[in-house]
Amino acid sequence: MARATLRDRSMERARRSGDIAPARQKNIGLLGVGFFIVSESMFFLGLFLAWFFMRNTSDAWPPAGVAPPPVVPAVLNTVIALLSTIAVFFADRATARDDRNGLIKGIAVAGALGVIFMAVQAVEFTDLAILAQGSAYGSTFTFLLLFHVLRVFVGVILMGVVLVRTLLGHFSSKRRLLVQATAMYWYFITGVWLVVFAVLYLIG
Amino acid sequence: MASISIPIPLRERAKSGVLGWLATVDHKKIGIMYMAMSFSFFIAAGLMALLIRLQLAAPNLQVVDPNTYNQLFTMHGSAMIFLFTIPMLVGGFGNYFVPLMIGARDVAFPRLNAFSFWITLGAGLVMLIGFVFGARSDAAWTAYVPYSTKAFSPTIGMDIWLIGIILLGIGSTLGAVNFLVTVYSMRAPGMTAWRIPMFVWAMATTAGMVLLATPVLTAALIMLVADRNFNTQFFTANRVQLWQHMFWFYSHPAVYIMILPAMGIISEIIPVFSRKPLFGLRAVVISTVIIGLLGFTTWVHHMFVSGVDPAIERFFMFTTMVIAVPTGVKMFNWLATLWGGSLNFKTPLLMCIGFLATFVIGGISGVMQGAIPIDQYVHNSYFVVAHFHYVLFGGSVFGIFAALYYWGPKITGRMFDEKLGKLHFWLMMIGFNITFFPMHFLGLQGMPRRIATYDPGRGWELGNLIATIGAFILAFSVLIFIINAIKLRHGEPAGDDPWEGNTLEWSTTSPPPEYNFLEIPTVESDRPLFDARMRTPQI
Repeated sequence: MARATLRDRSMERARRSGDIAPARQKNIGLLGVGFFIVSESMFFLGLFLAWFFMRNTSDAWPPAGVAPPPVVPAVLNTVIALLSTIAVFFADRATARDDRNGLIKGIAVAGALGVIFMAVQAVEFTDLAILAQGSAYGSTFTFLLLFHVLRVFVGVILMGVVLVRTLLGHFSSKRRLLVQATAMYWYFITGVWLVVFAVLYLIG
Repeated sequence: MASISIPIPLRERAKSGVLGWLATVDHKKIGIMYMAMSFSFFIAAGLMALLIRLQLAAPNLQVVDPNTYNQLFTMHGSAMIFLFTIPMLVGGFGNYFVPLMIGARDVAFPRLNAFSFWITLGAGLVMLIGFVFGARSDAAWTAYVPYSTKAFSPTIGMDIWLIGIILLGIGSTLGAVNFLVTVYSMRAPGMTAWRIPMFVWAMATTAGMVLLATPVLTAALIMLVADRNFNTQFFTANRVQLWQHMFWFYSHPAVYIMILPAMGIISEIIPVFSRKPLFGLRAVVISTVIIGLLGFTTWVHHMFVSGVDPAIERFFMFTTMVIAVPTGVKMFNWLATLWGGSLNFKTPLLMCIGFLATFVIGGISGVMQGAIPIDQYVHNSYFVVAHFHYVLFGGSVFGIFAALYYWGPKITGRMFDEKLGKLHFWLMMIGFNITFFPMHFLGLQGMPRRIATYDPGRGWELGNLIATIGAFILAFSVLIFIINAIKLRHGEPAGDDPWEGNTLEWSTTSPPPEYNFLEIPTVESDRPLFDARMRTPQI
């Protein structure tokens, strides 16, 4: 209580003096998520650089005797990822309009698609586990998929939390940081998937 | 419904005692815990350095066996960099003073801040406990493959070291997110970009570098853990360069992560003790940011003997030399601030002058080694050891002690003993130069770094003996600091503003209350407290 008073007073002064845009203090949470996503991007950039470094220093890529994994499940997952992103987008928009049903539907669909994505990857991993130990190609391939699907897992957990808290009536158009943060993170995860798909399966 | 509002409601949740520290989310308490942790690791790693110097004092000594020697210099380097310098500057001073200097009540995410600290402490304990119980890495702080692969480091010590560094990376990345949001969002009214204190600028740049560089190292560390334990094939014999690229992509920026906050500290102290504004504030700010950006374009200069394409090497030679320009700009700005000032030769200013004198030597030997032909000659020799101790001890550690003497009164409310402080400074300055200056000659005479001992007759005896004597003088000077810190309990009360400072932390009490400021101040220039003093009629 005491703390809220102090913070309100400083906010009020800030607004009156006009030197600090009030908007700058309103979006602290999202700004934090944004910076976090930057660091996450750098993690993947490191793995991608490793991939291209190895590709450029190898005679053949993939190396002789190593078969690249099938492309069909990856195409399927690309479609799933894009669909789930659309669902998240509508869920986020629904919260802004105080549309609780829209939020529940959107986040449930997106979460379900996320689970399907993970299931498809799980089937893939039975092959990849062997591939990973055979060559640098297989190791990097597996790492990129593994660390991406870990993020999908985190995203699905976040959606579960959003869903439960929506059912408990926690969110409204004025109070929806977690919904926005989950949406932002999910866009990032989908973006990483598109790059992973392009680099691993299309460029090869 | 009382019409009088009480200006400072007491914080009901503020707890005292052990729980008050364990459960705190207050940036000042977290900062103090960072400082205590870092200083403990500084002492531990310093004692390791003394063992290293004892071993090298004369030819063919066997103070410790060669394996232990490898473990000692590995842990000395790792602890000094990852567990002392970075957490001290970023976690300690950054946490304590960034919110105070920008006129905020706390960082943007106080709980995340506590999490960063505890994970950092956890990582430090993982590494320390591993070391104490014999699970020690011996592949140097650079953990180059193949030394760090299962074939050459078969014990679990290497894995423990890797896990420790991964955890530290998570802690400092989250800390960086916190700092960036805090500096962007939480500034007091009126604190526009050019009114942000230099230390805060330096911390924001540092946080940006941590945010961009650390995840790449984390990726490399995880890949190495997988190589060692799950038979993946990343760093095989024909790809040792990959580790070097990924490691130095973090670890070269890490050099600036360690020096920029120290530069920020002395940019705060020199104007206060010269009774002048900082000369060319904007030039210092811009060169700080440029150093931060250029810091990402120089990492291959660590790899001039690794077989990188010569065209690429030449590019990195160029960028390495270019980064001396913004550094030189700052050097001249500090000197111009001192020039003509009415200098107040208290310990903080002495430490800053120590910084300038020693850092410039390290900076110049850095530019020398940026030249490919010189680097190929002195690579992995004691010349390199001399160079990076001149920048990291002569720069960062002098900066850290300057900050401790300058801000110690704010943190504790008591003044340090000036006589002991000056004695500490002079012994440290003399001991430091006696230790590390001879290493330049040892390196040029061909003494490789990281060797456990050497045969007589190579001309290395005298230099090594002098260095060892210097190391003990250096250690003695730190002991004097510890005595001074213990005596702080009975020191003179500091009052709010013992130095007539310029920045907002001096406007509140020493130590500051948990909410920092009675009322959030409004800022009208880059020296808000100077303004306030000018407004107050002098009696």
